Amino acid sequence: MVNYKGGDKMSEVKKDQQPNEEPCRSCVTRRNIVKLLLGTAGVGAMGSIALSFGTIKAPSNKKERRKIVKGDQLVFAMGSNANKLIHPSDIPPNKGTLAYPKGKEDHDNLILLIHAANPADFKKPTKLDWIADGFIAYSAICTHMGCVVEWYPEKQFSFDFPHLFCPCHQSVFDIFRGAKVLAGPAPRPLPQLPLMVADNVITAAGDFDGPIGPLPGGK
Amino acid sequence: MYEWLNERLDLDRFKEKYLKKVFPVHPTYFFGEVALFSFVILVLTGLYLLFSYTPSSQLVEMGGKKIPAAYKSILLINSQPLGLIMRYVHHWAAHLMLAALILHMARVFFSGAYKKPREINWILGVVLFTLAILAGFTGYSLPFDSLSVVATGIGYEIANSIPYIGNAIANFVFAGQFPAPGSIPRLYMYHIFLVPMLLFATIGLHMLIMVKQKHTQPLKNKAITGGTKILGIPMYPQQISLMIFVFLTTLAVLFFLASFLPVHNVEYFGPPTLTTPMVKPDWYLLWIYGIIKLIPGTWNIPLPGGAVINPEVIGGLIAPSIIMLIITIAPFLSKSKEPVHYWEPVSQRPIATAVGIAFIVMFIALSVTGYQAELNIPIWVCRLYVVVLPLIAFFLSLSLIKRKEA
Repeated sequence: MVNYKGGDKMSEVKKDQQPNEEPCRSCVTRRNIVKLLLGTAGVGAMGSIALSFGTIKAPSNKKERRKIVKGDQLVFAMGSNANKLIHPSDIPPNKGTLAYPKGKEDHDNLILLIHAANPADFKKPTKLDWIADGFIAYSAICTHMGCVVEWYPEKQFSFDFPHLFCPCHQSVFDIFRGAKVLAGPAPRPLPQLPLMVADNVITAAGDFDGPIGPLPGGK
Repeated sequence: MYEWLNERLDLDRFKEKYLKKVFPVHPTYFFGEVALFSFVILVLTGLYLLFSYTPSSQLVEMGGKKIPAAYKSILLINSQPLGLIMRYVHHWAAHLMLAALILHMARVFFSGAYKKPREINWILGVVLFTLAILAGFTGYSLPFDSLSVVATGIGYEIANSIPYIGNAIANFVFAGQFPAPGSIPRLYMYHIFLVPMLLFATIGLHMLIMVKQKHTQPLKNKAITGGTKILGIPMYPQQISLMIFVFLTTLAVLFFLASFLPVHNVEYFGPPTLTTPMVKPDWYLLWIYGIIKLIPGTWNIPLPGGAVINPEVIGGLIAPSIIMLIITIAPFLSKSKEPVHYWEPVSQRPIATAVGIAFIVMFIALSVTGYQAELNIPIWVCRLYVVVLPLIAFFLSLSLIKRKEA
């Protein structure tokens, strides 16, 4: 009841003020100052909360690529022979396999493809002196979106076999011509790895001839 | 009970104001409702899945093998009595929500309802659609099978290829280079909190504005009421009954689909391996996938400082953004400034209708391009038809409308 009366009084007061009197100038100024202060405080508070997100750091930024050095022996990446050294007799001509440099398997961006063929089949721009006994190796990370390319034994999409094929966006690379892009959106050929055969094991003779996988746009 | 609540909450006033709200009737008005109910079902089934899901890509032991914890938890969900069907219903509901949203957008566009005074709700609708796609994308990664790892990795690479800031953005969004240890918890947070909260807010606003502005009506209503009133059924009891019917039908269809057409069978794809499975994005992203394939690999626009705008950015970000932007500003491209309260007949707006049909043809053509390699279509043919087919559709529908009018 009391409240109700109070309410009535309030509306009476409001009614009294109704006659279109201009509110005093200092009142308007005061209101504007309060608005400005509240606005600044609000924007500042929201802005600083938003900015605080900029201090979040990714827990780890590993994936700094480890170098492949001369003498890194190569091992099978998968299958029943996984992690076993690759001897030249393990890959018959016209066959290929996924491989890793031994001891660096945890760096999954070092995965590479080995292919065996008659050395005379390879043409420029393949680095011909990087082929050892008909074995050639390329990075298996597609330069488009970083998927792992396949060694594709069959003819498909009117390309001769064997070729390298990315299952994500169907880029096709020419094994015999320096992994040149034959089709698809890949921007660069796959980097080639220099090979040698030492102690009857296929071994890296150095690092890839270019950056692996897709490049960040800032570089 | 009602009296007790009414004394305190004044339910009578609410009844008076909202339960008598008039809903015009037309079958196409249910597209939006199907989308809404799919969202409700997504939240409910999602809640069920949250009870058993582990958001972690750390390797754990299962049957003598090391597999990611998230993948293991999905296998455990699958082994629960209702786990598998709940997962499939959740997945199907996502597809249905996007499909219903597209149909709803098409209805609103072709009836002219997106124009003044409903521009705000059109824009909110586009935001809603984008959020729904984001929800789908973030959800894709969570099972952490070999397919989802590859698909999400591609999302990372697209963000990563933005000039200058791409690497920082991608590492911020995915908590390091995907799949980093923090990636799955981060994507999980987006999927179960951030995106759904934004969806909730947008849906709420969308519906509030709809209630405030009222529906556009089928044109025949104008002849009946004389253009002053809204002809339709009241919220209670007729519209409520229809809504319950639509909800139950949606639920039934989803359970039916989930029972007979399993989607995303994680056991088929297996945990992530070294090799990449054949991946195609879901159908609602296939058009972007098509654009990526169309852009020649040589389209590198050099920027100062050694940065480049590469084909991935053009195809994966710039081109889709332009298309979405055109859709967003559609209400402002219309010449007429008259407020629309009734469906505009096609004959009144031949150009807008033809443009709408051309857009649909373009989306279909781009999506078919996603299967270009499988269909063995040379890429130059794709580049040709993506331009030519929408143009043909435009002029064909324009002349058909004109002839019908004459």
